[in-house]
Amino acid sequence: MEQHLMWNWPMIVYLFLAGLGAGALAVSGIVVLWGPAGEFRHRAALIARLGAFIGPLPVIIGTGLLIYELGRPFRALNLFTSNFWFLALNPSPMNWGSWFILLFCIFATVYALTFIPWKSLLRGEWGERLEARGERLRAPMASICVPLAIAMAIYTAILLAAVPARPLWHTPVLWLLFTVSAISTGLSAIILVQRFMFRKPGAVRGAVRREDPAFRVTEYYLVSMKVLLIIAELVVIGLFFMFAHMTINSANFAVQTLLPGGEMATTFWVGVILVGLLMPAFIEGFYLLRTAVLGHEFEWPYVINVSAPIAILFGGLMLRYVIVVGGQITGPIGI
Amino acid sequence: MSDSSDSQVSRRKFLKTVSQGAAAVATAGVAGGAMHAAATNPATDSGKKNKVQYGMLIDLRRCIGCQACTVACKAEADVPMGVSRSWVEYVEKGLYPNAGRSFLPRLCNHCSEPHCVRVCPTGATYERPQDGLIVIDQGVCIGCLYCAHACPYDMRFLNPVTRFADKCDMCIHRVSKGLVPSCVNTCQGRARIFGDVNDPNSEIHKLIARNPVSVIRETYGTQPNVYYIGLDTTDENTKKPGQYVRVTTNKANSPKRT
Repeated sequence: MEQHLMWNWPMIVYLFLAGLGAGALAVSGIVVLWGPAGEFRHRAALIARLGAFIGPLPVIIGTGLLIYELGRPFRALNLFTSNFWFLALNPSPMNWGSWFILLFCIFATVYALTFIPWKSLLRGEWGERLEARGERLRAPMASICVPLAIAMAIYTAILLAAVPARPLWHTPVLWLLFTVSAISTGLSAIILVQRFMFRKPGAVRGAVRREDPAFRVTEYYLVSMKVLLIIAELVVIGLFFMFAHMTINSANFAVQTLLPGGEMATTFWVGVILVGLLMPAFIEGFYLLRTAVLGHEFEWPYVINVSAPIAILFGGLMLRYVIVVGGQITGPIGI
Repeated sequence: MSDSSDSQVSRRKFLKTVSQGAAAVATAGVAGGAMHAAATNPATDSGKKNKVQYGMLIDLRRCIGCQACTVACKAEADVPMGVSRSWVEYVEKGLYPNAGRSFLPRLCNHCSEPHCVRVCPTGATYERPQDGLIVIDQGVCIGCLYCAHACPYDMRFLNPVTRFADKCDMCIHRVSKGLVPSCVNTCQGRARIFGDVNDPNSEIHKLIARNPVSVIRETYGTQPNVYYIGLDTTDENTKKPGQYVRVTTNKANSPKRT
């Protein structure tokens, strides 16, 4: 089965990582632009900082994987140099995407640099000057990075959806599915890193202490947001199946690979739906409801709440795997 | 036939007369932006945007499935092991004693609305304006295989030697010297006819005009330029109730048949 896959694991991992980076950057930028003030200020700043640091890294790694798969690193420059005006008039989604990746890597890196605590890294005048400049640049960079990150997340789906000859990809719902999954995995990555940082009771990072009431409340909201995103993703997956089912042609045939009895059915229903969506939704939903309904303080067993974001990340990877491989093992029916 | 050619002549004469006035502008507009009056002639107006549009007609009634075209293509284009630019599929239908086998030669359709050209991120694959053939500039291609996904006919593949996208180029090195493609040259049953589908004097044009021809996967709107006579579009996924169909293709490592 491996032989006929023209887009193999580097593409799958790239789509996942690009979504993850774009999601983390979007969350970070949104927190910077519209984040809370007052007692939640430090907590929001930490989330924004983590998101900014997570953002560019996966995208750069994923792009590296793609270039590795091409085999000729410098040939990839043809995306930018050859036939510029022709492509400006006849744009291919991959050509847009390569420009998005380039801009994303540049702006996300600059944005991440504004979060580096220069004052404590460099003694003297330079540290203070860089830190002041960083704080001034942060909001303008965020307002560039948020639309760029969302464009990046959408492009990863449009790349696949643009080809009519792959009926599983050629659906108007795919961009929504990938965007929701991107934000969900990005947020999970932020939460996961943060869980490792505040592992021990009494842990302090900058101005944030684990024992602060603000910490617990923010945690509650973050986890609720994650569960809402999971529900949204389930709805979009439902729409995805509905679209395919209401289409009387190859799309209907192609989606059979994901339905029970199909080749990808186990991977999809166990990997994506059960492990990636339902399990974290139930675990986190349980603790959320305990707080929301019974009025308990929001408290989590550490192991379970580390495994929930990991499960979501795994589900995001499996979603890309199922879509990319499933699209390639199905095709137009009839001659 | 003579009736229609008479009417063509009179029509041309009529247009010529009218075009001396300002009405020529309006005529050109009606003809969909055609530059010369002859383009409005139903016999020559093929709906193709190129003046010269090379294409192929495959008469499946004459194909004997000998795979000579497959071998000739391999030799001519030096296609590496494991991949093919052109091949013949065996379509077996029915159960004994009402069983039969037909043959379906496949090659790049050189579509007039090619999806592969639209998605190419570098412009490496393009439509030649002089003859409408779809070719790949190997000096620009990055081997991303986006075009291979976009092709509804699964004609594109990654050349394992060069690591670039590859496909049938209708033997442009032969065609540009006035020869026919290698597969046409070698065809034992003379099932393949090559020529300019826009030229009303060409054999392919006359055969397309007189015979019930069809193209593969017309619903994709790619307007293929490889035409078939006697094409049966049934395969395993679209067989009718009670039919037994088995399609054998050279793509042994691919479970799907696209």
